[in-house]
Amino acid sequence: MLDRSAVKFKIASVLQVQPELIVEEAILNELVVDSFILVDLVIELQEEFSCRLNQENLKSVRTVGDLIQQLELHRFAAA
Amino acid sequence: MTTKLNENELWLLSFYRTSEISGALFFGRLCKTLKSSAVQHDMSKHFSDEAHHAWLWTDCIAKLKAQPLKLADSYQDQYISAAGLPANIMEILAITHVFEKRVIRQYALHSRVPDLQPEIKETLSAIMQDERWHLEWVKNALQSMENEFGKENIEQALQRFLQADEEVYAKTMKEHEERVHGLGILAGR
Repeated sequence: MLDRSAVKFKIASVLQVQPELIVEEAILNELVVDSFILVDLVIELQEEFSCRLNQENLKSVRTVGDLIQQLELHRFAAA
Repeated sequence: MTTKLNENELWLLSFYRTSEISGALFFGRLCKTLKSSAVQHDMSKHFSDEAHHAWLWTDCIAKLKAQPLKLADSYQDQYISAAGLPANIMEILAITHVFEKRVIRQYALHSRVPDLQPEIKETLSAIMQDERWHLEWVKNALQSMENEFGKENIEQALQRFLQADEEVYAKTMKEHEERVHGLGILAGR
Protein backbone atom coordinates (compact mmCIF):
# COMPACT_ATOMS: atom_id res chain seq x y z
CA MET A 1 0.00 0.00 0.00
CA LEU A 2 1.36 3.39 -0.97
CA ASP A 3 1.68 5.91 1.84
CA ARG A 4 -0.42 8.75 0.41
CA SER A 5 0.81 11.23 3.03
CA ALA A 6 4.42 10.48 2.09
CA VAL A 7 3.63 11.09 -1.58
CA LYS A 8 1.94 14.40 -0.77
CA PHE A 9 4.87 15.43 1.39
CA LYS A 10 7.25 14.60 -1.47
CA ILE A 11 5.13 16.61 -3.94
CA ALA A 12 5.25 19.60 -1.58
CA SER A 13 9.00 19.20 -1.21
CA VAL A 14 9.67 19.04 -4.99
CA LEU A 15 7.36 21.97 -5.71
CA GLN A 16 8.61 23.88 -2.69
CA VAL A 17 5.10 24.68 -1.44
CA GLN A 18 3.40 24.30 1.94
CA PRO A 19 2.33 20.65 2.51
CA GLU A 20 -1.20 21.88 3.42
CA LEU A 21 -1.69 22.88 -0.22
CA ILE A 22 -1.19 19.34 -1.42
CA VAL A 23 -4.70 17.95 -1.00
CA GLU A 24 -6.27 15.19 -3.09
CA GLU A 25 -8.47 17.64 -5.00
CA ALA A 26 -5.66 20.08 -5.87
CA ILE A 27 -5.35 20.56 -9.65
CA LEU A 28 -1.80 19.75 -10.76
CA ASN A 29 -1.69 22.38 -13.51
CA GLU A 30 -2.55 25.02 -10.93
CA LEU A 31 0.18 23.85 -8.57
CA VAL A 32 2.82 23.63 -11.31
CA VAL A 33 2.87 26.27 -14.00
CA ASP A 34 6.11 25.05 -15.63
CA SER A 35 5.51 21.81 -17.52
CA PHE A 36 9.21 20.87 -17.22
CA ILE A 37 8.85 20.87 -13.43
CA LEU A 38 5.78 18.66 -13.76
CA VAL A 39 7.86 16.16 -15.78
CA ASP A 40 10.56 16.28 -13.11
CA LEU A 41 7.96 15.76 -10.36
CA VAL A 42 6.50 12.69 -12.07
CA ILE A 43 9.97 11.17 -12.51
CA GLU A 44 10.96 11.95 -8.93
CA LEU A 45 7.81 10.29 -7.55
CA GLN A 46 8.43 7.17 -9.64
CA GLU A 47 12.04 6.96 -8.42
CA GLU A 48 11.06 7.50 -4.80
CA PHE A 49 8.08 5.16 -4.66
CA SER A 50 9.23 2.47 -7.12
CA CYS A 51 6.55 2.98 -9.76
CA ARG A 52 6.60 3.02 -13.54
CA LEU A 53 4.17 5.25 -15.45
CA ASN A 54 3.84 5.95 -19.14
CA GLN A 55 2.21 8.75 -21.09
CA GLU A 56 -1.04 6.82 -21.40
CA ASN A 57 -1.32 6.53 -17.59
CA LEU A 58 -1.11 10.31 -17.25
CA LYS A 59 -3.85 11.13 -19.75
CA SER A 60 -6.63 11.01 -17.17
CA VAL A 61 -4.60 12.65 -14.39
CA ARG A 62 -5.86 16.10 -13.32
CA THR A 63 -5.51 16.19 -9.57
CA VAL A 64 -3.03 15.14 -6.89
CA GLY A 65 -5.40 12.29 -5.99
CA ASP A 66 -5.48 11.08 -9.62
CA LEU A 67 -1.68 11.05 -9.73
CA ILE A 68 -1.38 9.12 -6.47
CA GLN A 69 -3.91 6.60 -7.78
CA GLN A 70 -1.82 6.01 -10.91
CA LEU A 71 1.32 5.60 -8.78
CA GLU A 72 -0.50 3.04 -6.66
CA LEU A 73 -1.65 1.11 -9.72
CA HIS A 74 1.81 1.01 -11.26
CA ARG A 75 4.12 0.05 -8.44
CA PHE A 76 6.85 -2.49 -9.17
CA ALA A 77 5.91 -6.03 -8.18
CA ALA A 78 8.96 -6.18 -5.92
CA ALA A 79 8.09 -2.96 -4.08
CA MET B 1 28.02 50.91 -29.54
CA THR B 2 26.56 49.85 -32.87
CA THR B 3 25.30 46.32 -33.12
CA LYS B 4 26.30 44.10 -36.02
CA LEU B 5 23.01 42.23 -35.77
CA ASN B 6 19.71 43.20 -37.34
CA GLU B 7 16.46 42.72 -35.43
CA ASN B 8 15.73 39.28 -36.93
CA GLU B 9 19.23 37.97 -36.28
CA LEU B 10 19.15 39.13 -32.68
CA TRP B 11 15.77 37.49 -32.16
CA LEU B 12 16.96 34.16 -33.59
CA LEU B 13 20.20 34.06 -31.59
CA SER B 14 18.22 34.95 -28.46
CA PHE B 15 15.75 32.15 -29.31
CA TYR B 16 18.63 29.66 -29.55
CA ARG B 17 20.04 30.94 -26.27
CA THR B 18 16.69 30.60 -24.48
CA SER B 19 16.27 27.03 -25.77
CA GLU B 20 19.76 26.08 -24.57
CA ILE B 21 19.02 27.55 -21.13
CA SER B 22 15.72 25.63 -20.93
CA GLY B 23 17.51 22.41 -21.90
CA ALA B 24 20.22 22.95 -19.30
CA LEU B 25 17.71 23.65 -16.52
CA PHE B 26 15.56 20.67 -17.45
CA PHE B 27 18.41 18.17 -17.64
CA GLY B 28 20.05 19.68 -14.56
CA ARG B 29 16.91 19.04 -12.51
CA LEU B 30 16.63 15.52 -13.89
CA CYS B 31 20.27 14.78 -13.05
CA LYS B 32 19.45 15.60 -9.43
CA THR B 33 16.42 13.33 -9.49
CA LEU B 34 17.77 10.22 -11.23
CA LYS B 35 19.48 7.45 -9.33
CA SER B 36 23.12 6.79 -10.16
CA SER B 37 23.36 5.08 -13.57
CA ALA B 38 24.98 5.34 -17.01
CA VAL B 39 22.05 7.54 -18.07
CA GLN B 40 22.65 9.88 -15.15
CA HIS B 41 26.35 10.06 -16.08
CA ASP B 42 25.77 10.95 -19.74
CA MET B 43 22.87 13.24 -18.93
CA SER B 44 25.15 15.22 -16.59
CA LYS B 45 27.50 15.84 -19.51
CA HIS B 46 24.54 16.73 -21.71
CA PHE B 47 23.30 19.22 -19.13
CA SER B 48 26.72 20.85 -18.82
CA ASP B 49 26.94 21.10 -22.64
CA GLU B 50 23.57 22.85 -22.84
CA ALA B 51 24.64 25.35 -20.19
CA HIS B 52 27.87 25.93 -22.11
CA HIS B 53 25.92 26.47 -25.34
CA ALA B 54 23.80 29.10 -23.61
CA TRP B 55 27.04 30.82 -22.66
CA LEU B 56 28.38 30.52 -26.24
CA TRP B 57 25.25 32.26 -27.59
CA THR B 58 25.40 34.90 -24.88
CA ASP B 59 29.04 35.58 -25.73
CA CYS B 60 28.39 35.52 -29.48
CA ILE B 61 25.64 38.14 -29.10
CA ALA B 62 27.97 40.26 -26.94
CA LYS B 63 30.78 40.01 -29.52
CA LEU B 64 28.32 41.29 -32.09
CA LYS B 65 27.69 44.24 -29.78
CA ALA B 66 24.13 43.41 -28.80
CA GLN B 67 22.24 42.16 -25.75
CA PRO B 68 20.12 38.99 -25.66
CA LEU B 69 16.37 39.47 -25.84
CA LYS B 70 14.32 38.15 -22.97
CA LEU B 71 11.97 35.63 -24.60
CA ALA B 72 9.11 34.05 -22.68
CA ASP B 73 8.81 30.57 -24.16
CA SER B 74 11.39 28.19 -25.46
CA TYR B 75 10.92 25.75 -28.32
CA GLN B 76 10.83 22.90 -25.78
CA ASP B 77 7.77 24.39 -24.02
CA GLN B 78 5.79 23.98 -27.22
CA TYR B 79 7.00 20.38 -27.56
CA ILE B 80 5.37 19.32 -24.33
CA SER B 81 2.13 21.06 -25.29
CA ALA B 82 2.04 19.23 -28.62
CA ALA B 83 3.36 15.83 -27.57
CA GLY B 84 1.99 15.53 -24.04
CA LEU B 85 3.97 14.97 -20.91
CA PRO B 86 6.78 12.40 -21.18
CA ALA B 87 6.12 10.18 -18.18
CA ASN B 88 9.27 8.10 -17.74
CA ILE B 89 12.96 8.21 -18.55
CA MET B 90 12.52 6.33 -21.85
CA GLU B 91 9.91 8.83 -23.03
CA ILE B 92 12.16 11.72 -21.98
CA LEU B 93 15.04 10.27 -23.99
CA ALA B 94 12.76 9.64 -26.98
CA ILE B 95 11.60 13.27 -27.04
CA THR B 96 15.22 14.37 -26.56
CA HIS B 97 16.37 12.29 -29.53
CA VAL B 98 13.76 13.86 -31.80
CA PHE B 99 14.54 17.34 -30.47
CA GLU B 100 18.32 16.98 -30.90
CA LYS B 101 17.86 15.91 -34.52
CA ARG B 102 15.80 19.04 -35.10
CA VAL B 103 18.46 21.22 -33.46
CA ILE B 104 21.22 19.81 -35.67
CA ARG B 105 19.14 20.34 -38.81
CA GLN B 106 18.28 23.90 -37.80
CA TYR B 107 21.87 24.80 -36.93
CA ALA B 108 23.11 23.21 -40.18
CA LEU B 109 20.60 25.25 -42.17
CA HIS B 110 21.67 28.41 -40.40
CA SER B 111 25.36 27.73 -40.95
CA ARG B 112 24.73 27.66 -44.72
CA VAL B 113 23.30 31.20 -44.81
CA PRO B 114 25.43 33.28 -47.21
CA ASP B 115 27.68 35.98 -45.68
CA LEU B 116 27.07 34.75 -42.14
CA GLN B 117 29.09 36.65 -39.52
CA PRO B 118 32.15 34.58 -38.49
CA GLU B 119 31.13 34.81 -34.81
CA ILE B 120 27.83 33.08 -35.57
CA LYS B 121 29.40 30.49 -37.85
CA GLU B 122 32.00 29.56 -35.20
CA THR B 123 29.34 29.27 -32.50
CA LEU B 124 27.13 27.06 -34.67
CA SER B 125 30.08 24.86 -35.55
CA ALA B 126 31.18 24.45 -31.90
CA ILE B 127 27.67 23.56 -30.77
CA MET B 128 27.05 21.09 -33.60
CA GLN B 129 30.07 19.04 -32.50
CA ASP B 130 28.43 18.48 -29.11
CA GLU B 131 24.99 17.88 -30.59
CA ARG B 132 26.28 14.87 -32.56
CA TRP B 133 27.43 13.29 -29.31
CA HIS B 134 24.06 14.09 -27.71
CA LEU B 135 22.28 12.15 -30.46
CA GLU B 136 24.68 9.23 -30.06
CA TRP B 137 24.39 8.80 -26.30
CA VAL B 138 20.62 9.15 -26.33
CA LYS B 139 20.32 6.58 -29.14
CA ASN B 140 22.57 4.15 -27.24
CA ALA B 141 20.64 4.71 -24.01
CA LEU B 142 17.34 4.01 -25.77
CA GLN B 143 18.79 0.79 -27.20
CA SER B 144 19.92 -0.26 -23.75
CA MET B 145 16.33 0.19 -22.51
CA GLU B 146 14.78 -2.21 -25.00
CA ASN B 147 14.55 -5.07 -22.49
CA GLU B 148 13.03 -2.89 -19.82
CA PHE B 149 10.53 -0.89 -21.90
CA GLY B 150 10.14 -3.00 -25.05
CA LYS B 151 11.52 -2.13 -28.48
CA GLU B 152 8.03 -1.57 -29.87
CA ASN B 153 7.12 0.91 -27.12
CA ILE B 154 10.32 2.84 -27.74
CA GLU B 155 9.61 3.01 -31.47
CA GLN B 156 6.04 4.13 -30.81
CA ALA B 157 7.26 6.88 -28.48
CA LEU B 158 9.78 8.07 -31.10
CA GLN B 159 7.05 8.14 -33.76
CA ARG B 160 4.68 10.05 -31.49
CA PHE B 161 7.28 12.67 -30.67
CA LEU B 162 8.41 12.90 -34.30
CA GLN B 163 4.87 13.77 -35.29
CA ALA B 164 4.72 16.43 -32.57
CA ASP B 165 8.10 17.80 -33.69
CA GLU B 166 6.85 18.27 -37.24
CA GLU B 167 3.76 20.09 -35.98
CA VAL B 168 5.74 22.37 -33.67
CA TYR B 169 8.39 23.12 -36.27
CA ALA B 170 5.78 23.96 -38.92
CA LYS B 171 3.93 26.17 -36.43
CA THR B 172 7.11 27.95 -35.34
CA MET B 173 8.21 28.56 -38.94
CA LYS B 174 4.77 29.94 -39.79
CA GLU B 175 4.70 32.20 -36.74
CA HIS B 176 8.15 33.58 -37.48
CA GLU B 177 8.05 33.28 -41.28
CA GLU B 178 9.03 36.88 -41.87
CA ARG B 179 12.05 36.76 -39.58
CA VAL B 180 13.32 33.40 -40.85
CA HIS B 181 12.97 34.22 -44.53
CA GLY B 182 14.55 37.59 -43.88
CA LEU B 183 17.64 35.72 -42.71
CA GLY B 184 17.75 33.43 -45.73
CA ILE B 185 17.05 30.31 -43.66
CA LEU B 186 14.71 28.05 -45.57
CA ALA B 187 12.57 25.58 -43.68
CA GLY B 188 13.85 22.05 -44.00
CA ARG B 189 12.58 18.81 -42.57
